[in-house]
Amino acid sequence: MLEIRDIRTSYGKIAALKGVSLEIREGGLTCLLGPNGAGKTTLIWTIAGILKAQSGSMRLGDDELAGLKPHQIVEKGVVTVPENRLVFPEMTVTENLVAGAFSRRRQKGDVAEDLDAVLDRFPRLRERASQEAGTLSGGEQQMLAVGRALMARPKILLMDEPSTGLAPIIVEEIFEIIGQLRDEGRTIFLVEQNANLALDYADHFYLLEQGHVTFGGDPATVDHDDLIARAYLGARKAS
Amino acid sequence: MDYFLIIDFVQSLLDGLLFGTTYALIGIGFTLIFGVMRKLNLAYGAAALAGTYIGVAATFAFDAPPPVVFLLSALGSGAIGIVVYYCCFRFTPTHYPMASLLASVGMLLFIDEVVIHASHGMPLPYPSVFREATIELGDIWVRGDLLFVFFICVVAMAVLFWLLYRTPLGLATRAVSQQPRAAALCGIDPTRVNLLTFGLAGILGGIAGAMTAAAVGVLSPIIAMGLTVKGLIAVVIGGLGSIPGAIIGGLLVGAAENVFLMLRGVTERDIYVMLLLFLFLTLRPGGLFGSTAGRD
Repeated sequence: MLEIRDIRTSYGKIAALKGVSLEIREGGLTCLLGPNGAGKTTLIWTIAGILKAQSGSMRLGDDELAGLKPHQIVEKGVVTVPENRLVFPEMTVTENLVAGAFSRRRQKGDVAEDLDAVLDRFPRLRERASQEAGTLSGGEQQMLAVGRALMARPKILLMDEPSTGLAPIIVEEIFEIIGQLRDEGRTIFLVEQNANLALDYADHFYLLEQGHVTFGGDPATVDHDDLIARAYLGARKAS
Repeated sequence: MDYFLIIDFVQSLLDGLLFGTTYALIGIGFTLIFGVMRKLNLAYGAAALAGTYIGVAATFAFDAPPPVVFLLSALGSGAIGIVVYYCCFRFTPTHYPMASLLASVGMLLFIDEVVIHASHGMPLPYPSVFREATIELGDIWVRGDLLFVFFICVVAMAVLFWLLYRTPLGLATRAVSQQPRAAALCGIDPTRVNLLTFGLAGILGGIAGAMTAAAVGVLSPIIAMGLTVKGLIAVVIGGLGSIPGAIIGGLLVGAAENVFLMLRGVTERDIYVMLLLFLFLTLRPGGLFGSTAGRD
């Protein structure tokens, strides 16, 4: 669905992505694993248009995403749930969700319907609908960030480290939500440190090491322990 | 204490609070721009003044009635605000904050020079309304022209609140000021929001400039410095980034300057108002309503 070809991104003179190619397949969960500093978040920011790629292409159907501004990429249907959630702290839960639908603000009735659907999906958000987002717990903020992204009616949902800073029991809850979204047939691209959990849900995975995709496949066909060791430790050769 | 002294004091306080709404508007303008861009636009007061001159030009061109002069002042200032955005903020590098700050200082001086040149530095008459009207509350007189200034400024604030809290573009503006990166990921174009904010803040500045001139009945280039400095003090007192803070700060500056005027006279007035700036920056740098929330 989204074909990423030879993407190179750097911070000043430091190359972070040195020619990354991968494919996000339609209707499934593609997972990107890799140790700290491998460039996982850089790749998400590059797809989202916040960082500019020096070269390479990102094709969504007939559309080229490389070079578009972040809001244009959202309009194409590629929507990001950022790391650390980045909710609007002084807006209510409802306002946060409505802001998520900004790219289709002209379809008023539909936005109200989607708002209701998101609040049905996350009953805890409905209870706190008129509360400021800054007062929510980390897990609730993560739900809000996911709900906000769903409000844009994404074709592809990019999720960057949804487990960051959350208690293990909350992480399980968030992953159940991700599993549900996948089972609904949505296309999800998940970047995750918690390789153990991510591999349980992934249909396909890639391993990113030092700015290169070094490995990829179907989680069912590889040795998880071996893969997890590489994802955490960044060992070039798993023994 | 002497009865008449108390009456004088209350009268000064009241006049100051009514007129302070103009400083509140300027403070709101500084705060709005700072909110979305995290940058200070020092050309703001000068742009407001230049917009007010556009209104005056209309009186010379076709003898415009006061409401039209006020409207043109506001819109003219909005347009100049957009020019300032393009010249000083849109293309200056974001990772070098001094660039836009110094550009806006340059713009402040530039606009001031243009206004002085165009008006030959002479004060011009500006339409004033309800000048003769007063409402007497016992020994306190409420001046009609100041009441009008107050009314217009409060209406402007009400419209601003409606825009910010009841429209999609207001939501976008608040989103950009609270979490710019997430706003972009929601499909909001920060460049458009910035442009809109400069236009909107410009209109508020123009209203403040028009009302300042209307309260005095003359328009002169020196008003720019007053608007800039008092507006900045208002946001320092209120806390940069807070709209309620800018309103309270503006009213306090207006009240304080009038009380100092009564106690110490017109030549000393601003000295004490300036001292307020240092007092707040030293003792309470975040202002009364300063946002302490951690932002990235």
